[in-house]
Amino acid sequence: MAFAPMGPEASFFDVLDRHRESLLAALRRGGREPPTGGSRLASSSEVLASIENIIQDIITSLARNEAPAFTIDNRSSWENIKFEDSVGLQMVSHCTTRKIKSDSPKSAQKFSLILKILSMIYKLVQSNTYATKRDIYYTDSQLFGNQTVVDNIINDISCMLKVSRRSLHILSTSKGLIAGNLRYIEEDGTKVNCTCGATAVAVPSNIQGIRNLVTDAKFVLIVEKDATFQRLLDDNFCNKLSPCIMITGKGVPDLNTRLLVKKLWDTFHVPVFTLVDADPHGIEIMCIYKYGSMSMSFEAHHLTVPAIRWLGLLPSDLKRLNVPKDSLIPLTKRDQMKLDSILRRPYVTCQPFWRKEMEIMADSKMKAEIQALTFLSSDYLSRVYLPNKLKFGGWI
Amino acid sequence: MVLKKFLKEIQSILPGISAKLTWTSEEGSYSQDMTGVTPFQMIFEVDEKPRTLMTDCLVIKHFLRKIIMVHPKVRFHFSVKVNGILSTEIFGVENEPTLNLGNGIALLVDSQHYVSRPNFGTIESHCSRIHPVLGHPVMLFIPEDVAGMDLLGELILTPAAALCPSPKVSSNQLNRISSVSIFLYGPLGLPLILSTWEQPMTTFFKDTSSLVDWKKYHLCMIPNLDLNLDRDLVLPDVSYQVESSEEDQSQTMDPQGQTLLLFLFVDFHSAFPVQQMEIWGVYTLLTTHLNAILVESHSVVQGSIQFTVDKVLEQHHQAAKAQQKLQASLSVAVNSIMSILTGSTRSSFRKMCLQTLQAADTQEFRTKLHKVFREITQHQFLHHCSCEVKQLTLEKKDSAQGTEDAPDNSSLELLADTSGQAENKRLKRGSPRIEEMRALRSARAPSPSEAAPRRPEATAAPLTPRGREHREAHGRALAPGRASLGSRLEDVLWLQEVSNLSEWLSPSPGP
Repeated sequence: MAFAPMGPEASFFDVLDRHRESLLAALRRGGREPPTGGSRLASSSEVLASIENIIQDIITSLARNEAPAFTIDNRSSWENIKFEDSVGLQMVSHCTTRKIKSDSPKSAQKFSLILKILSMIYKLVQSNTYATKRDIYYTDSQLFGNQTVVDNIINDISCMLKVSRRSLHILSTSKGLIAGNLRYIEEDGTKVNCTCGATAVAVPSNIQGIRNLVTDAKFVLIVEKDATFQRLLDDNFCNKLSPCIMITGKGVPDLNTRLLVKKLWDTFHVPVFTLVDADPHGIEIMCIYKYGSMSMSFEAHHLTVPAIRWLGLLPSDLKRLNVPKDSLIPLTKRDQMKLDSILRRPYVTCQPFWRKEMEIMADSKMKAEIQALTFLSSDYLSRVYLPNKLKFGGWI
Repeated sequence: MVLKKFLKEIQSILPGISAKLTWTSEEGSYSQDMTGVTPFQMIFEVDEKPRTLMTDCLVIKHFLRKIIMVHPKVRFHFSVKVNGILSTEIFGVENEPTLNLGNGIALLVDSQHYVSRPNFGTIESHCSRIHPVLGHPVMLFIPEDVAGMDLLGELILTPAAALCPSPKVSSNQLNRISSVSIFLYGPLGLPLILSTWEQPMTTFFKDTSSLVDWKKYHLCMIPNLDLNLDRDLVLPDVSYQVESSEEDQSQTMDPQGQTLLLFLFVDFHSAFPVQQMEIWGVYTLLTTHLNAILVESHSVVQGSIQFTVDKVLEQHHQAAKAQQKLQASLSVAVNSIMSILTGSTRSSFRKMCLQTLQAADTQEFRTKLHKVFREITQHQFLHHCSCEVKQLTLEKKDSAQGTEDAPDNSSLELLADTSGQAENKRLKRGSPRIEEMRALRSARAPSPSEAAPRRPEATAAPLTPRGREHREAHGRALAPGRASLGSRLEDVLWLQEVSNLSEWLSPSPGP
């Protein structure tokens, strides 16, 4: 007795293949310019020299009886952000800055913490060892106060030195998961195969170090929530719609997850879709993958995938599919503020279909989680919704 | 006019003084000064014991000095003739900063009146003036056996407190509190003197915890009976000393410490126009029965004073915290730089750093690095105290007033003393003269012809309408009012500066 063929019939991917061709054509037409500004991979000696120059400047200031100060790019101001549809949100080349003075009550502590972390980076680079941001925080949790302080200072240093975080020998553990038709070799030589039925692989902490990536995938599906991701794994989605790749950042994506999505796109140019809740939070997360965030705009060239498309859950799908009213949730005040904020962002003007969907949500004042589809049937998402969307081009 | 009448009765309010005082008008001898106030002098006779004379002079000087603390516009010429030799001393202040307390009293805020100014070395680490915190007024209860006075109003106690010298925002010397000085004032800001010098402590004040719960601040107070009359400072009516514990013994490196100044103003509020005799009656009542009144009103008195002291020491505590935080940041910065310097394998980098600070080795480099860092940050922090800048502005303004007051000053020179000798049997020992300045009238209670405003319901409110009334009634008093306003704005700046310190204390500074 012959086995059933793996995955759908070949014609299932016709629309997807045409979409990929159009993306490739756009890439060729776009003629991607070499990235300007932002950080780059720097050699160890370059990083060490940069830090030594900073110390030298401080000591020179002190010798002149001047209070030393750091000049930091302002990463929390929209006026320092420009938008290009081929790159996303990126920091302008001559942006406004903040002074971290050593003699101001408000900033003396931050000044000292920047120096503290610079000295730790100096040791890491010298000894060619790596530490996670968590490691750094726990060297003196009393001094730093909380993890966010450490994260912000590391990003400020990365921005100030114009080098990537990895060049500073600082890693961050990743919460993201990946599964599907993908194989690669990690920096330490470990061979990883994500083709597993019921389990997923953790996104590696050193994305720049992975090499020899191999895939036959027809698309990459970014899933917002871990619960949805696990549900798709349980339904054997990867095999049903093989070959494909699924990845989740478990909510707001961390740097490694974003780097990996970017790397997959740069390496394979396979269409990338998002599956997020039909609520402002989900839209925000999708925008981060596609266009980046204000606070990491100085790294835009390494993090954004403007080719990403919104597959679901579209607000217009709710009406089209007759999703029961009981499963819808009213928008909170916070939701409405978030929605208004997204609608005001520069990238919405070049996304008329997204704007239309957001306006549907604003008008109805209702939101829905992907789990709302289980009201139709328990496996509606993996058996009906996603296959139909992918087969007939239901993305925007 | 009322104050002049009170001064005539000075003998009855100066216990311990043995001289007999007589009032003599000298209108015929001296022309009226610019203000129209008639000068007058008092003559008193004493026996020939020099010790008694010395004590009497000191008592009078103390009294005059206390008046000037809250009536800076008043000037006293104090002359003593002993065996034909005349010595004159002027008690008064010239264009000094004051703080208008809102009850018609303007308190001198220059630190040098309250504690002798120590030598703090090169960097001035203390503000040159105090920053009084005004507490809320409370009504005093009169014991039954004293209630026969038939008062038709209320006795109101308003405390004010300040640290002296006042610490700058982040001075590197964190002085501890070593003593408490309490000053008592009655209506019109007249000094209350409760006891003779032989018995300086009354029952209420003997118990140091009757005013403040000192344990709250880990302080142990004992009464200080060693009052030094022979200082050019205003003498407190009550003085406490901080008893140092075993732990503090090791910290006695700095015996100077800070003094907590506590001013207790007792005033009389009535719904009816206050008569002169009524004021006088209240004053007499207070000089003889204040102890009993305070004992009767113990709970409200302690509550009000405790609240005021809490506010003053909270500022002190916050300044201390900010100082500690700065020192910690400094250490982190220095250690981080040393870590990079000593870990570097680039000899040109290390050499350049050592040469820049002119250090022979890394140990000397660390010492110099820490020193110059501390000097730079201290220098900046000292400027965060807004007093110095404001004081210059205030002094310029006061200089203009000084010019305006020049005619008054010149007329004072006409008051040279030319009293003759006494009879053979009893020698004249001294003849103090007291001159009222023009501004004295601005401190006066409303005259009977003026309708006093009805007292508002809230006890906290009376301070405002009375102050406003004074400004409305006496146009010429606007000048000192403006000066006081500048002083008050400065205190607002000081409080803002202190409140900014809270950002120091937040565990996670802004991104």
